[in-house]
Amino acid sequence: MDLPVSTITLSTGLALLLIGMWGMLTQKNIIRMIIGFSLIDTGVHMIMVTIGYLSGGTAPIINDAVDRLTALQDVVDPVPSALVLTAIVIGLGITAVMLAFAVQIHDKKKSLSIENCTESKW
Amino acid sequence: MVEGLLAPINLIIAALGVGFLLPLIARSSASIARGLFWLTQVFLLLISSVWLLRLIDGAPAVEVITAGIQPPFAINLYFGLFEAFVVSAVNLSAILGSWYLIDYFKSRAASMSVYLILTMGISGMVMTRDLFNLFIFIEITALATYGLLALDKRPASLAAGFKYIIATSLASTFFLLGTMLLYHLTGTLNIDDMLLHMDRITGPVGLAAGVLLLVGVIIELKPYPANGWGLDVYETVPAGVAAMISVGVSAGAFFALYKIVPLLGDFLPVVAAVGGATFLASNFIGLRQRNVRRMLGYSSVAQMGLMTLALAVLYMLGKSEYVTLVIGGLFINHLLAKAGLFWLAGVVDRPRTEAWVGLRHRPILLVILGILLAALAGFPPFPGFWGKWELIMQLSAGELPFWVFVVLLGSLLEAAYLYRWFGFALQDDETRAPAVEPVKLIPVGLFALSLLATGHLVADWLGLEAPRVLVPIYMGIILYALDGMPGRLKALLVLGAFAVYAYPVVMGLEGLHWLFGLILLLGGGVIAFAVLHRSDARRGFYPLLGMLLFSLASLLEASSTLEFFFAWEVLTLSSYLLISMGRGAREHILTFLMFSLGSAFLILAGFGFAYGETGSILLADLSKVEKSATLVFMLLTLGFLVKAGAAGLHVWLPGAYSEAEDDFSALLSAVVGKAAIFGLLLAAMHLAVNGVGAINQVLYVVSWLGLISALVGALMALFQEDVKKLLAYSSMGQVGYIVTAIAVSSQLGWVAAGYLTVNHLLFKGLLFLAVAGLVYQTGTRLMYQMGGLIKNLPMTYISVLIGIIAISGVPPLTGFGGKWLLLNALFDKGWYWQAGLAFFASAVAFLYLFRLIHTVFLGQRKQAHKDLREASWLLLFPQILLIVAIMAFSIWPKLLIDPIASSFAGIFPEALIWDGTMLKTRLGYWDGFMVINIVAGVFLVPLLILLFLSRFMQIQKVKQFNIVFAAERPETPETTHYAYNFFSFYEKALGPLLKPRATAFWDGVSEWSHTIGSTLRVLYTGNGQTYALYVLFYVVMIYIAVGGMG
Amino acid sequence: MEFWAVKIGYFLITLGMVTVYGLLLGAIIARTMARVQGRIGIPYWQPFLDIIKNLGKRTAVSHGVMFYMGPVFRIAGGIGTLAFVPVIYGSEMFSNFHFAGDLLLAMYFIFFGQLGMALGAGESGHPFSAIGVARGLGQMTAFELPFVLAIIAVVIQYDTLSITEIVAAQQGGVSNWTLFTNPLAVAAAMLAFLGMSGYPPFDVFTAPNEIPIGPPTEYHSSFLALMATNRAIFASAKLILFMDLFFGGATGLIEMIIKTWAIYMVAVVVGASFPRFRVDQSIRFFLRVPTLIGIASIAFVQIFLLG
Repeated sequence: MDLPVSTITLSTGLALLLIGMWGMLTQKNIIRMIIGFSLIDTGVHMIMVTIGYLSGGTAPIINDAVDRLTALQDVVDPVPSALVLTAIVIGLGITAVMLAFAVQIHDKKKSLSIENCTESKW
Repeated sequence: MVEGLLAPINLIIAALGVGFLLPLIARSSASIARGLFWLTQVFLLLISSVWLLRLIDGAPAVEVITAGIQPPFAINLYFGLFEAFVVSAVNLSAILGSWYLIDYFKSRAASMSVYLILTMGISGMVMTRDLFNLFIFIEITALATYGLLALDKRPASLAAGFKYIIATSLASTFFLLGTMLLYHLTGTLNIDDMLLHMDRITGPVGLAAGVLLLVGVIIELKPYPANGWGLDVYETVPAGVAAMISVGVSAGAFFALYKIVPLLGDFLPVVAAVGGATFLASNFIGLRQRNVRRMLGYSSVAQMGLMTLALAVLYMLGKSEYVTLVIGGLFINHLLAKAGLFWLAGVVDRPRTEAWVGLRHRPILLVILGILLAALAGFPPFPGFWGKWELIMQLSAGELPFWVFVVLLGSLLEAAYLYRWFGFALQDDETRAPAVEPVKLIPVGLFALSLLATGHLVADWLGLEAPRVLVPIYMGIILYALDGMPGRLKALLVLGAFAVYAYPVVMGLEGLHWLFGLILLLGGGVIAFAVLHRSDARRGFYPLLGMLLFSLASLLEASSTLEFFFAWEVLTLSSYLLISMGRGAREHILTFLMFSLGSAFLILAGFGFAYGETGSILLADLSKVEKSATLVFMLLTLGFLVKAGAAGLHVWLPGAYSEAEDDFSALLSAVVGKAAIFGLLLAAMHLAVNGVGAINQVLYVVSWLGLISALVGALMALFQEDVKKLLAYSSMGQVGYIVTAIAVSSQLGWVAAGYLTVNHLLFKGLLFLAVAGLVYQTGTRLMYQMGGLIKNLPMTYISVLIGIIAISGVPPLTGFGGKWLLLNALFDKGWYWQAGLAFFASAVAFLYLFRLIHTVFLGQRKQAHKDLREASWLLLFPQILLIVAIMAFSIWPKLLIDPIASSFAGIFPEALIWDGTMLKTRLGYWDGFMVINIVAGVFLVPLLILLFLSRFMQIQKVKQFNIVFAAERPETPETTHYAYNFFSFYEKALGPLLKPRATAFWDGVSEWSHTIGSTLRVLYTGNGQTYALYVLFYVVMIYIAVGGMG
Repeated sequence: MEFWAVKIGYFLITLGMVTVYGLLLGAIIARTMARVQGRIGIPYWQPFLDIIKNLGKRTAVSHGVMFYMGPVFRIAGGIGTLAFVPVIYGSEMFSNFHFAGDLLLAMYFIFFGQLGMALGAGESGHPFSAIGVARGLGQMTAFELPFVLAIIAVVIQYDTLSITEIVAAQQGGVSNWTLFTNPLAVAAAMLAFLGMSGYPPFDVFTAPNEIPIGPPTEYHSSFLALMATNRAIFASAKLILFMDLFFGGATGLIEMIIKTWAIYMVAVVVGASFPRFRVDQSIRFFLRVPTLIGIASIAFVQIFLLG
């Protein structure tokens, strides 16, 4: 069976996304929830890359290997890849802040369970 | 050089640059860092406000192009009027808000850079035209917000912050996915470019892209129920941060929504529903909230919902030209008021609403709170008022009555919890007055002033005769500035200014307006004269009195429904505040406000539907309404009936009238209540005279309602021990007759209405003023604690005597003319059953009137009252004027009836014929002049005979207890004076008929609203995971709602 | 001016006549009651003697201005009511000042004397006065309802508020009387009349054994004389009003005397045969059957007489 690489990345991305969500929604431990978020993030990044990928396309560098007239059909869209870099950085930042909160919460409450974070409600 | 510094891109660059430098600088010198921080903020504000002014002046919008490449190939920013406006407002809130975070900034320099970056992120969200860039700015804002959330290290704050992060990071993930899918479809990230290629956004992917993008933004606006995390943050983080999130971050998110709305054409109804549901649900839940900050959170969320609703609906209706007024008004209103309230909540720092008791002893604090709350509740002249007005107009014009209902109901609920809070602040408890540093009040005070200023600007911009509608407000402000002067001087100032202003107003009016000019302005002036009897300073009273009196004038001057509604709302607000000054008024003011607002909203809806049909807001054009005439008339009538205290809608009335300060009660009942009559007549004049649609049926129902009010009012008055409550119920009953007279809708009916109105003004003013003197002298309002006072307060007794004869309809005083006209009108109309009820009600009224005069002035005097003196002549003087008027109109009824008839001339066929002093109708005749002469004759002759006989008799004046008594020897007045529970047998006879059903009904309504709130808030479990689940569900729900399942 | 002189002259004649008649009527009723109880009763001139005796008292006690004026108000109310009701149809002399106002005026003026009296009695400071007034007023509101309904029925029937025109419409035979053209209205009005006349079962406001005499408790000497005079005038005025509205009016003095006596007898007969109601009972009574009859009378007029 010949799976296109885009199908693989897309389905992996979606799978990561779902696993991440499952993790965020079921795991009571804050650290595990953060891991869930990281998985979602990674999943999204994979999906983003897939969106720009063109099966059998070449790198988006205009040189002799690419016919200038058909470049648009032949090369992989470079924009998503560029965007993913930014998104990864941002995701990293958010993960870091989340972890910082986790540390603080653990310091104050001596617990990492999200169920202990219900001081305010209603 | 300067121009280069002022480039809008510097909004981003400067904040970012300084933001990263600050922690470094802070290592060497903390004070330089702080200086730089403030300087940068000022600089940001400077850039945005300079551009705002330029753009207002007509400068072209700035297109910022990055990397030297034209869009769509590079990111571009757009800085137009709206952008400049929002960015300026956010920068202003940021700079003033940081005032409240100084302590945090001192302890952690890094937080200053986070704060700057937050401001920058919001500016970026507003300015960028690139979808991915928007994502970046959303994330920058989010990260900065997270940083600020961590400022406060209390466990609750941290927990709330973590929940916030989970929810918003999920939301931005959706946004990112949506952006990428759109890119996939359109091949561009530029919003403007996407709009050119809308045709490519199709199929399931297009749908999914739209849903993800929408949810990504909407979640940031905290829609119900996926907003528990936001509320937790509002409740727990420092007030300055909460204000910034509520105002700044939400502004950015809302602007993002505004930008992508054109991409979401098919989704608009769903967006509207999301906004409407959030607005309504949050306000229901707010009712249950006693924690100030969380309550403000609900209000915040609700306002965002309202703006979302407004935005979506305006686009749906293709009325995007109204976005400026509606959204702009609501936005700036929310921004100023909510930021101010959050700050104030931080300054006063009392978590529970009921702990705000005692604020009334800090006048400045109270005024600021009052302004902010009034703005938030949509009172004029604040910008929210204009926005909400236009929103209702457009919703009605777009034939979306359901949304009109939602907006008005939500606003009413919001006012309920906000003003319940204010009620606590008004409570009198000197010991619990909060200690506040005056410096801390500067930013919030500035925002309160800005609210007033923007209100003025909007009025100006709308091309209203702004100075004219705003006169009452200015008057209030000026008088407030002079509040330090002695009480009587202020009173003279108010009365003098009012006289000078009102005289030309009355002279310039004609017809109905002229008649009510005399009733409201002249009557108001005469009765307001009584305030001179008090010499104390009465802080706050005179500014509000000025506002009230002048708003009566602007009510009469109004030529458009907008001006009318404006004046009406000012009248409502000033009455509310004046009533709240009464000692025991606290329990009643919220009810008063709720019913007044309910009334105002009904009127607003009525005006809205009229505008919807005719496209005009001129009052005169109400008569052009045909198709929806019945609906408009019903809404207006119902609205005015609430204020007239019609049975069932009257529960606010007794408390308000009786608990207001004594001299103000007179004004309230005799004059302010007449504004509702004016409204009723105005509505009837334009809509009912032609009798189109089912208006005659409406009138028929109203005629019954009026008389049922007359009966209920009279019956309730029977059983009051409190003299002012008795008069309050009496007002309700007497106004009932007027309502019925209006419903008759004939010359006879309206002349009767006018006559009854003037008469009610005269006798109720007289009675309330007399009672004011009485209460002032005796120190009690309970009638059974008085008695025998005729000897101490003879003038007051005469006032009351004249007053009750004039009410009861006993000839020869004015009351009879009113009854005669009313009954003739009813007979002529063929409304015989109503006539019977009118007779019966007036017979019952006779009972409480007798009780009033007997238990207070006759019978046995209490020992303690032996040396009481007559009321102040300053209080008696207006009474004498009123008595003179009553006597003049009694002797020459033509003096009164002719002008009234002439102000309705030409509307109906003539049914009143004058024959000398004789007045004739189809059925009957009455010669008032002759009657009073005959009565004088038959009275004087026996009197003379008795006087003559007395010459042959030794008439001995006897002491108090010298009576022929068959029981035990009378010993104390308390056991001899028959006064308490005077008509107990009546209660026994009618029994269950007298149950307070209306009160029970409205208590039930209140209870139900709270129950709805409790039910809706069950979803907020406080668990971060549950909240994340709601966010996910939200995607699914939106997806289903926009048709993704089929 | 001459017009007024004549009118006032005529009215004084009417007033004198009605006063004499009213006092005699009182005596007749008292004698009738006595006969029912097997006594001889008072002489016919007894009421006159009482008044003269009271006027001749040499001393009096006053509780204040209102107390002093109370009887004046009271008698002014009686005379005024009479002044606004035409006594004899077609007679210039006995038409009084009815041209000053219509039926509504007469009806509302009835309250004038009651109010003044109540105020005077109130100032005496006697609790029985106040209790009596409270009860009397309470009962009044209740019988007012059927009375008013009956009057409304009459007004609809004759389409006028003028008493003279109502009488005119009943001329031309007994069958034209309201009594026969609109019996329901008359029934309601006569039930109300029972309350109005203050005989048992509706006399609790003067209840001799509980609150002796009620409102006028403190009144004596000339005051009482004025009030006794008024009682005659006021009772006659009300009777004449009833006669005009429901029993075809009167075209002559004799007719008037017979009719008013007959109307009065209704109250007397009922009064002689029933015990007393408490106030709450009488209020409930009037608000039930008589009111229903009153309502029925209006419906009757609207359906059968006007079509």
